[in-house]
Amino acid sequence: MSYDDVEIEDMEWNEEIQAFTYPCPCGDLFQITKEELRLGEEIARCPSCSLYITVIYNMEDFMGEPDRNIKKNLEPSKQQSVTVA
Amino acid sequence: MDEMNIEEETEMEEEIGGEWWSWGAGTDGQLGTGRLDDEHLPQRLPDLSSGRRISQLACGGAHVIALSGGDVMTWGRGTSGQLGHGELESCLLPKPVKFLENFTTSYVSAGWNHSGFVSDTGKLFTCGDGSFGQLGHGDYQSHCSPVEVLYFAFKHVEQIACGMRHSLVLLKGSSEDPVYGFGSGKRGQLGVSKDRIRSFAVPQVIFGLGGIKVISISANGDHSAALSANGQLYTWGRGFGGTSDIHLPQTLPSPLRFSQVALGWNHALLLTGEGEVLMLGGNHHGMLSDPQTSRQQHSPVLDSSSVGSAEDSMGLILAKVCGLDGTRVLEIAAGAEHSVLVTENGVVMTWGWGEHGQLGLGNTFDQTSPQMVKLSDGHNRFRVYCGSGFTYAYRILLS
Repeated sequence: MSYDDVEIEDMEWNEEIQAFTYPCPCGDLFQITKEELRLGEEIARCPSCSLYITVIYNMEDFMGEPDRNIKKNLEPSKQQSVTVA
Repeated sequence: MDEMNIEEETEMEEEIGGEWWSWGAGTDGQLGTGRLDDEHLPQRLPDLSSGRRISQLACGGAHVIALSGGDVMTWGRGTSGQLGHGELESCLLPKPVKFLENFTTSYVSAGWNHSGFVSDTGKLFTCGDGSFGQLGHGDYQSHCSPVEVLYFAFKHVEQIACGMRHSLVLLKGSSEDPVYGFGSGKRGQLGVSKDRIRSFAVPQVIFGLGGIKVISISANGDHSAALSANGQLYTWGRGFGGTSDIHLPQTLPSPLRFSQVALGWNHALLLTGEGEVLMLGGNHHGMLSDPQTSRQQHSPVLDSSSVGSAEDSMGLILAKVCGLDGTRVLEIAAGAEHSVLVTENGVVMTWGWGEHGQLGLGNTFDQTSPQMVKLSDGHNRFRVYCGSGFTYAYRILLS
C-alpha cells in the first residue's frame, strides 16, 4: 500500500542524487528521477525500507524538451543555499 | 520533535545518574553508537551515560540534540547543517555545538532536517535546512551554525517545536499572542490563516490561541499541537487518519484533561492526568510493512467505544490504547510511525512500525498493541524519546 500521495511540487530536487525527493518516515528519502517521470512512473521508493509513495504529476510536463520545462515549472522555487558561518 | 514533558512530581528518591539506550534506524549515526547500522535491540551508550546529566533530548529525522547543564551536543545526520557544527557533515558521536558555548541553553528541538535552540535569556537560534522558511530568518537559506532569529530579539522565547518543514515558537508568560509559526504552511500546520498558504519565512502569530495559557507546543511531520495549563489540547495541520487538514487551531472536543502529547506523522498520542493513553488517527498504526513480513498477532488496538463521543465533526477519532489492562502510564513518545510509553511499573513498551528495529523487540515486525522492551529487570524509572525511525530511553538510577 502506498504510504502517501504527494504532489510533485511538494517534492524537492536533490542535485546530489539527481532525483526528486520527499521525507520517508524511516529517516531516508523517497526518490524518483526525471527519467522515471518521463516514462510515466508514479511510484517513488525509499532505498532504505519497503515503503513507497505515489507521486501526483502531469506526465506532459516531463515530455518533449523536458529539462528546460522542468527547470522552469517544477523545481522548487528556492534554490538550496547554505551559509557557512 | 515530539517532546512535551511536564516536570516530574516531587521525587522521594534522588536521581544519582542514569543509563542511555538507543535502537532503530542508524544509517546516519543517529543512534550515537559510533556505527551506521540499524539496531533491533536496545544498545547501551556508555559515553552518553557517563558524561554530565542530560536534561533534555530532542530527536529529529535522523539527528539528535542533547541539552546538558546549559550546553548542547548534537550528532547524527548533518548534511543540511542541522548539527550546528559549522559544516555539512554527519557525526557518529555526540559533539558540542561550539557556537552556543557563550549562551546557557534552556530548550532544544529537532525537526526533520533543522534544529532550534532557546537560551535562558529567551533568545532563539536555528540552523539546518531553511528551504521552506522553517528557520524563521525571513529567507529560504540554510545555515550550518545556529543563527539568532531576530524577529524575537525583543521577546522572550520559552520553547521551540520543529516539525518536518515548519516550526512553532512559544513565548514566555505571554497570553496575548503566545504561539508563532513559520515555514511550510501547506497542510495548515502554521495555523495562521484559514486559506491554503504555501509558506512564511517570517514568524506569524497563530490564530485562536490568544488569551490561552499555553504550557507546551509540539510539531512533527505536518502536525502541530499546543497544550493549555488546564489540560486542553489544540491541534492544527494535516488531518489525522485521513481526515481533512485543519488550518486553524481546534480544541479536541473531549471532557478529558491531558498532561502530555506526542505527535507522529499520522498519529498523536495523548496522556491524561489519570495516566491513560489515547490515540488520534491511529487506526492503521502498526500496519505499514509488507504483509508478508509483518506479523499482526494482536487484535486491533483501538477501542473507540470506551471514550464516549469519539468522533467529532471533523471526523477526528480519539481512541483508547488497549492492552494495558489499566496500568497507569507516566511517559509517552512518538516517532514518525511508532509509539513508546513507560508504565508506572517502570516498563518501556513500544508499538507501531518496526521495519528498522525502532520497536527494540529484536526483530523488524510491526505491532498493533504495546509490547514490552527488555531493558532491565525490576523496578525502574525511564524517560523515552523518539526520532523519525529510532528511539532513545534513559534509565534513571535512584539513590
